[in-house]
Amino acid sequence: MDDLEEGFEPKIVGFLCRWCSYAGADLAGTSRIKYPPNINPIRVNCSGRVDPTLVIKALASGADGVLIAGCHPGDCHYTSGNIKTLRRFKLLQKLLDQFGIERERVRLEWVSASEGERYARVVRRMTEDIRSLGPLNWKKRVEVLA
Amino acid sequence: MKRVGVFVCHCGLNIAGNVNIKEVVDKASKQQDVVFAVDHKYLCSEPGQTLIKDSIRQHNLDAIVVAACSPAMHEATFKTIAQLSGLNRYNCEIANIREQSSWVHEDLGKATAKAHITVHQGIQKVRLNEPLQPITVPVTRKVLVIGGGIAGIRAALDVANGGYQVYLVEKSGTIGGRMAQLSETFPTLDCSTCILGPLMVEVFRHPNIKLLRLSKVEEVKGYIGNFKVRVRQEPAYVDEVNCNACGECAKACPAQVPNEFDFGLTWRKAIYTPFAQAVPPAYVLDANNCLGLLPQACGECKKACDKFGTSCIDLDAWPRTHELEVGAIIVSTGYELYDATKLTEYGYGIFPDVMTSMEFERMLSASGPTTGEIKRPSDGQTPKEIVFIQCAGQREPETALPYCSKICCMYTARHAMMFRHKVPEGQAYVFYMDIRAGGKGYEEFVKRCQEEKGLLYLRGRVAKVYEEDGKLIVKGVDTLSGKTVQINADLVVLAVGMVPSSESHNLASKLKASLDANGFFSEAHPKLRPLESPTAGIFLAGAGQSPKDIPETVAQASGAAGKALDLLSSPTLEREPTVAHVVGELCSGCSMCIPLCPYDALSLSSEKLAEVSEALCEGCGTCIASCPSGALTLRNLTDEQMVAMIEAIVE
Amino acid sequence: MQSYLYFPGCSLRTVARDFDRSAKACAHALGFELKEMQGQLCCGAVLSNVDDNLMTKAGPNRILARATQEDHTLVTLCAGCYNVLKRTGLHAKLASSSQQKINTFNEETFNGEVDVIHFLEILRDRIGFDAVERAVKAPFKGLHVGAYYGCLLLRPSGEMKFDDPNRPSILENLLSRLGCTPIDYPARTDCCGSYLSISSPGNIQPISGAIIRSARSCGAKLLTVSCPLCKYNLESSQLLESNGSVPDDFLPIVYFTQLLGLALGLHPQELELDQRQMLAIRETPTLLIGGGKK
Repeated sequence: MDDLEEGFEPKIVGFLCRWCSYAGADLAGTSRIKYPPNINPIRVNCSGRVDPTLVIKALASGADGVLIAGCHPGDCHYTSGNIKTLRRFKLLQKLLDQFGIERERVRLEWVSASEGERYARVVRRMTEDIRSLGPLNWKKRVEVLA
Repeated sequence: MKRVGVFVCHCGLNIAGNVNIKEVVDKASKQQDVVFAVDHKYLCSEPGQTLIKDSIRQHNLDAIVVAACSPAMHEATFKTIAQLSGLNRYNCEIANIREQSSWVHEDLGKATAKAHITVHQGIQKVRLNEPLQPITVPVTRKVLVIGGGIAGIRAALDVANGGYQVYLVEKSGTIGGRMAQLSETFPTLDCSTCILGPLMVEVFRHPNIKLLRLSKVEEVKGYIGNFKVRVRQEPAYVDEVNCNACGECAKACPAQVPNEFDFGLTWRKAIYTPFAQAVPPAYVLDANNCLGLLPQACGECKKACDKFGTSCIDLDAWPRTHELEVGAIIVSTGYELYDATKLTEYGYGIFPDVMTSMEFERMLSASGPTTGEIKRPSDGQTPKEIVFIQCAGQREPETALPYCSKICCMYTARHAMMFRHKVPEGQAYVFYMDIRAGGKGYEEFVKRCQEEKGLLYLRGRVAKVYEEDGKLIVKGVDTLSGKTVQINADLVVLAVGMVPSSESHNLASKLKASLDANGFFSEAHPKLRPLESPTAGIFLAGAGQSPKDIPETVAQASGAAGKALDLLSSPTLEREPTVAHVVGELCSGCSMCIPLCPYDALSLSSEKLAEVSEALCEGCGTCIASCPSGALTLRNLTDEQMVAMIEAIVE
Repeated sequence: MQSYLYFPGCSLRTVARDFDRSAKACAHALGFELKEMQGQLCCGAVLSNVDDNLMTKAGPNRILARATQEDHTLVTLCAGCYNVLKRTGLHAKLASSSQQKINTFNEETFNGEVDVIHFLEILRDRIGFDAVERAVKAPFKGLHVGAYYGCLLLRPSGEMKFDDPNRPSILENLLSRLGCTPIDYPARTDCCGSYLSISSPGNIQPISGAIIRSARSCGAKLLTVSCPLCKYNLESSQLLESNGSVPDDFLPIVYFTQLLGLALGLHPQELELDQRQMLAIRETPTLLIGGGKK
């Protein structure tokens, strides 16, 4: 990306499922594991709630990246919501390719309630990756003036 | 327009140490619809809660945001305070600025900036929350217990003693299950039938228990508190009430069949009683093996009964359908044995003197095929050298069952002991990998067996069993001495694994209860919720949920009964109202949402529009994400709210 | 004529030429052809699957990489080659990072594109035993043959998936179609001792000797195998037992393709069968030499 601003701080929207990944993130907190503050979590009951259009909305509204975190397959509190998320995510990736948006900006990760350290690692890596990719600049890159 | 109050907690220094509380309060007070914002050292404490209550009253608040620790900690507390202060409890949102802000970010400035966003998110959400009321469903105060083994019996008795009507559905002609087939039970060597019998009689006599034998569940509709179950009962052709079990019918019957109670080691007639202490104490006609009922080919049993008995045989009987309405269902379908013919290395089914543990058990029993004497099936001689193989077809993920069945080490020890008592000049060998004797008195019992004369424990596996000159050559290894071992045995007993009942697949799909990878009924949480299925209103007891011994089965059955009693304790039930909802005008009836629901809560109405059963919906939101028309919303987590929260983040 | 890409392996080019030639003759009689692949090398025998050392897997991977150039299916006869190549193929499909290393080292790429099958699988699955039976011109008259499987055809059963590892029946099924009476004996899936015959020959006697005794006591007049090493071990254990000379009750070992060939009407010379083997096959009464017991 050409215009890397000085000290660019990525803005990442996170959709965390309440039973597994939100609890995992809480565990990172109780364990006082440090990670960058660029992620802003929204708690959903299940990662299956995450409509791909909400992800696009987040990016179009100014987010530089989106993290969807759910339970490991087989562990979904609602049996199979995370599997549906996975299916939608695959389609979402194809959509992002068509928009010319780097796949690294939108991630689907499985984080269990006991994986505080893993959550922190995921956030750290995602923040750094997006920092090197630079700001998304949706308006400039994607929006076509009608 | 709502009047929102924001309360920011210091949590001592937990939050205040890394977040500028004053700044958060200040910024929050300037947000849209916020009319009051204040901080406190410990909001969850008594003074903190009083502050919230007073503020709600003083400032006429109709919604609050509590910026503090994770909702996992005190969401319920704060929601209750809100409710007690006259607010709808769903007008209270928690902003997690501790676990996901102050505790994890290093820079105070950045942690504070994030806290602003988190609080703003909470405000945006609570502004759009609807004042929901819990969904009340009536409760039918009756319980269905599926499976009449010791688990079902215990559960049925506990619920019935608790004062409620129980239907106990059992597929065979009698209750008692596997325990009735046992000779003794470890570690006390109690006679199994002696301790089981009185419980079976109690079930039979209990005014609150309706026992439906020869019955299977055909269809289950409804939801927790309101199940409608159709049960099909096959005819016994014998009147349960009037039959006095004289046995004249069986004497007259010409048709012989292998007796499944004895695993085919003996014969029974087509009209029979499963075992002497069967409950109900009435005979059963096995229509599949009778010479013919339509048209009647024989009729000798009826003639005998009319002449010598109580005239209680009706060869024209038909199956009956029972439509039951219950509030809770307890599943106690028990287990069967793994098919030992698959263990080709041991030759079960090829060599007659290779038996399963249950067949050996029947042989030990005084009511069994040999009246308690141990004999070789091939020639009826008393075996002098007997080999027990533990973990047969178990703990073998590549070729057989991956799991351990828990009880085999114990019953093999018991079998070996009983053999030694009955054949004092005999020699028993037990091939084992590990000894699992975790229950009360178990280790002591196994130790006794291991020290017994004429009983040798060999740590190692058996590679092959084959026949030579009338003996079974058992080739194994003793890893503790590092030597291969060959035993020329007279009898080999395989401790095969427990597998779930063959009915469980069918039943699980009817109940919409999930099964685990091995076919056992899944529990809601392996540690903390072992008695309930994830499907609301369905409880689990016994080996149908996982392999276990009798004390654990009884404990679990009483636990499941307790859960059912809890459910039934009030005439109505409250469910979380944060469920899916269809806006009819927007629905096109495309049905994309319907197959996605793991709880079958979505269906098409008579107008061919999607419809949510609020009692079945668990609020996951998977269907919402699939709706192309935006007709589906999740109450209090609508797309509008999601967008508002996203915007609060990116601004 | 249907042609199958074929990997003979080292032994079938040298000490086990009879196996190779009889197989080719049978193929021809049954209407297909075994076409040897280009660029053959030694498969490394059992060494390549013994541990995780990737060097030992370079050879078999190279064979399969070359086979990929010519066909999707590769046929073997020797149980050793079958075991090694089939398992190499399976591992190539699964383990990607070590496979990449091997491919880079070999400078020849293989990622599991070839199916390795055994000659018996052609007979059973592609031609069908019914068709084989129809092609039989000189059926045996109930010859008591013991089929010896050994280890490598069957185990590890999760990977080989050739037959039931404890109660296999593919050879017995074939033999009964040829008019033989297959003999069941407990040791037919026991190990013959493999390369112990080279590293510690004295240990072959008890291991292979037990197999011979088991087969003989159940009434087998000869044994049929699919592996040159098994044949060697089973024969030499009998010779060792009688101090190098051929004992009176010597149990001959033949390759299954030799029996198949005879049944299809081929000449014993074409199948490279020797006198002792033919004597056993023609079932001359055992009273002949020294009159041993059954």
